Amino acid sequence: MLSRVADALFWTGRYLERSACLARAVDVTFSLDLDLHGVLSNPVELEWNALLSMLRQAPPQPGDSEHPVAAVQRWLLVDLGNPGSVMSCVNRARNNARSIRGSISPPMWRELNKLHWRLSDGTFQAAVAESPHDFCDEAQVGVLLCHGVCDATMSHDEGWHFIQLGTYLERADKVLRLLDSKFGLLERGDAVDLPVRNLQWGAVLRQCRAYEAYQRLYISRVEPERVVEFLLANPDFPNSVRFCLERVLDSLTEISGRLPGRCDGDAMRTLGSLVSELTYLDGEELDGERLHGLLGNALVRCGRIGHLLQQQYALH
Amino acid sequence: MGSPFHEQVRSAMTTPGITQRRAAGTGSAGAAEPLSGESAPATSLLAGYELGAAYDEMFDRDERPRPHYQQLAQLLDRTPPEEFRRRKAMTDLSMRQDGVGFTVYRADEGIERVWPMDPVPRIIPADEWQHIEAGLVQRITALNMFLWDVYHEQQILRDRVVPPRLVLQGSSFRREFVGVDVPRKIYIHICGTDLIRAVDGEYLVLEDNGRTPSGVSYMLQNRQVLKRVFPSLFNDYDVLPNDDYPAALLDVLQYIAPESAATPTAVLLSPGMYNSAYFEHSFLAQRMGIELVEGRDLLVDANRVFMRTTRGLQRVDVIYRRIDDDFLDPLTFRPDSVLGVPGLVNAYRAGNVALANSIGTGIADDKGIYPFVPDMIRYYLKQDPILNNVETFRPEVPEHMQHVLANLDSLVVKRVNESGGYGMLVGPASTAEQREEFRRAIRANPRDFIAQPTIQLSTHPTFVDGRLEGRHLDLRPFVLCGERVVVTPGGLTRVALPKGSLVVNSSQGGGSKDTWILAQTGRT
Repeated sequence: MLSRVADALFWTGRYLERSACLARAVDVTFSLDLDLHGVLSNPVELEWNALLSMLRQAPPQPGDSEHPVAAVQRWLLVDLGNPGSVMSCVNRARNNARSIRGSISPPMWRELNKLHWRLSDGTFQAAVAESPHDFCDEAQVGVLLCHGVCDATMSHDEGWHFIQLGTYLERADKVLRLLDSKFGLLERGDAVDLPVRNLQWGAVLRQCRAYEAYQRLYISRVEPERVVEFLLANPDFPNSVRFCLERVLDSLTEISGRLPGRCDGDAMRTLGSLVSELTYLDGEELDGERLHGLLGNALVRCGRIGHLLQQQYALH
Repeated sequence: MGSPFHEQVRSAMTTPGITQRRAAGTGSAGAAEPLSGESAPATSLLAGYELGAAYDEMFDRDERPRPHYQQLAQLLDRTPPEEFRRRKAMTDLSMRQDGVGFTVYRADEGIERVWPMDPVPRIIPADEWQHIEAGLVQRITALNMFLWDVYHEQQILRDRVVPPRLVLQGSSFRREFVGVDVPRKIYIHICGTDLIRAVDGEYLVLEDNGRTPSGVSYMLQNRQVLKRVFPSLFNDYDVLPNDDYPAALLDVLQYIAPESAATPTAVLLSPGMYNSAYFEHSFLAQRMGIELVEGRDLLVDANRVFMRTTRGLQRVDVIYRRIDDDFLDPLTFRPDSVLGVPGLVNAYRAGNVALANSIGTGIADDKGIYPFVPDMIRYYLKQDPILNNVETFRPEVPEHMQHVLANLDSLVVKRVNESGGYGMLVGPASTAEQREEFRRAIRANPRDFIAQPTIQLSTHPTFVDGRLEGRHLDLRPFVLCGERVVVTPGGLTRVALPKGSLVVNSSQGGGSKDTWILAQTGRT
């Protein structure tokens, strides 16, 4: 397939996933904010600032008579001046898809287009000021619909695999960033009481849509170490880093045309070694500095994989 | 509740004219069951429909529906305006969700517009279509013979049937291509011919678009959307499907591939997503299953064309190009073009790649050549033209010059080297100052102009402000020329939406209609 098309498919997948991850993060933070209100002295700034710093963004300037939290929500969800906002990401996904309309199925284009128009609606966006939930929900469901329609209506050929590459690489990256940003919370350990810890780590799971899956597996209070292990290395849960990177590896193998396990290029080598580290992860390793090192190292390698892919497939 | 079928039969015998309808609201069909099953509308959509000076597609001079419009007129009569408004909204939503649009340019910014379709279809009966079809086949055959001739022996010029100067000095004549043999001797593979109807209903050719005509995807999309939002419209009619066009186009592309290519690879070359017709490019590429490429995806090596893929370079045999000659190859034509492919023209000359349409077809749809198409038909085919041209005056002929200058206020004057509505004088809508400016320009360079009477394009009921009003329209059928000539049954009907306007261009706020060609042995 055309390199330009492969590139646009990759980024369609990436931006769609990015918008869904951010929408979920805002939604969960909003809800956590309400829960923590009664227990912590200054939860609002704590949680929203944590989210902004995870995204490496400065707090936006609130408009006249705009609450700072409302300003953050607007900035992260609908503001087109923020290239990383949910709306910007959906627009970028749509623009990428539009530039290669002939290479995605019409139902997928239609779903993506519907998502774009629903989220662009002025009245719908204005409602974010009161509660961001509907907007976040619409964005997440819309992205899920795009994925579903994509899987059901497109041939699972090279082009589809490039969408998968973008989607799962982005998701792995976002989960790693989330865990990395909560590292400080983990270090503080017993400083906060149990219900609060339950809420905060529950929120981490919810950001990965993992709360129920985690509960089912461990049937216990939310234990930070287990949350980290689950989100890093669970082989079955679709939002764990390991699961995502295994999908990336699968797709890369399909695209390369090699047999499974045969290495084709530096991207695959970097990816394969990261996947095997996660596969054979030692639970003991999840303490303190070693975890910090692991997360940082994994993030760097995810970034590197993206660069190597671009070189190998002459993506733009 | 009477059966709808019974109702149709009964009211078919007592089809109301406009006057009755105006007086009685729903006319004698007042007892009819509206489609939605709600009570009969207080006012008909067609109430107060006015006929102008132009030929009306639906109603005759006595304000009665023409035979092939009877059922549709009754159905519209029974449909409450609110119901119709809802269908129109569904149409727009459907177009928007499918992302059917075009781009208009304003202040450096491309704005996406949703394709506007009026849900009232335009109907052409079988006999009229056969006439159009025969005329179009004849015309494209002659145009392709003309192109072969002027790029080879130039016999028609030597015989002075067409003034040589008009061709050889035409800005769209590519002298670089004289003597080049194009695959299968076909120059224009895809043609979109604009037809209009005179006051007496005669179909006339307004212009031939033999470069990179667009609009066919909208023709196909209009049908798909109308079937979705207003299926009951189709109940009374046998409408010929138009869906075969992409397959027929692919046939043409494969037919012209170089012989050396066992399984030819065809691509569609587009300027990219910011082009106003990008939707069409992606639509056609997808329907044919071929790659949609941009100039930067292609390269030429040793006079062969390749595309850059994730598995390296892949050979390209046929290019359906939607880029004008000027931008096709910066080495041959405009050096500043970033849309084209350096070396493409030489690869084409070497016969290693086929282009549709060929290079240099612009001389055949040049406005200065247009008046001679009927002569070409007589010259090459020894036949009389089936479809006539609009009467055209050439100021370089002294008698014509006199007539043109004396009648500037009633004529449309066009510059031969311009298209897309630029450089035109529409006499009845012009100021004295503009006429004076043209008078001077025509005197100075008579050969740069042609003049035509202002034609009142035919009108058709169109949904405007909650009711149906007459609006002017044209028709662009699409002709494919490969192993044989195929005229897809249908075409793009463009509508001028402002009252009285004769400008159907979509960038000027024009709308469109689904265009129905009826089967020969239909029920109507």
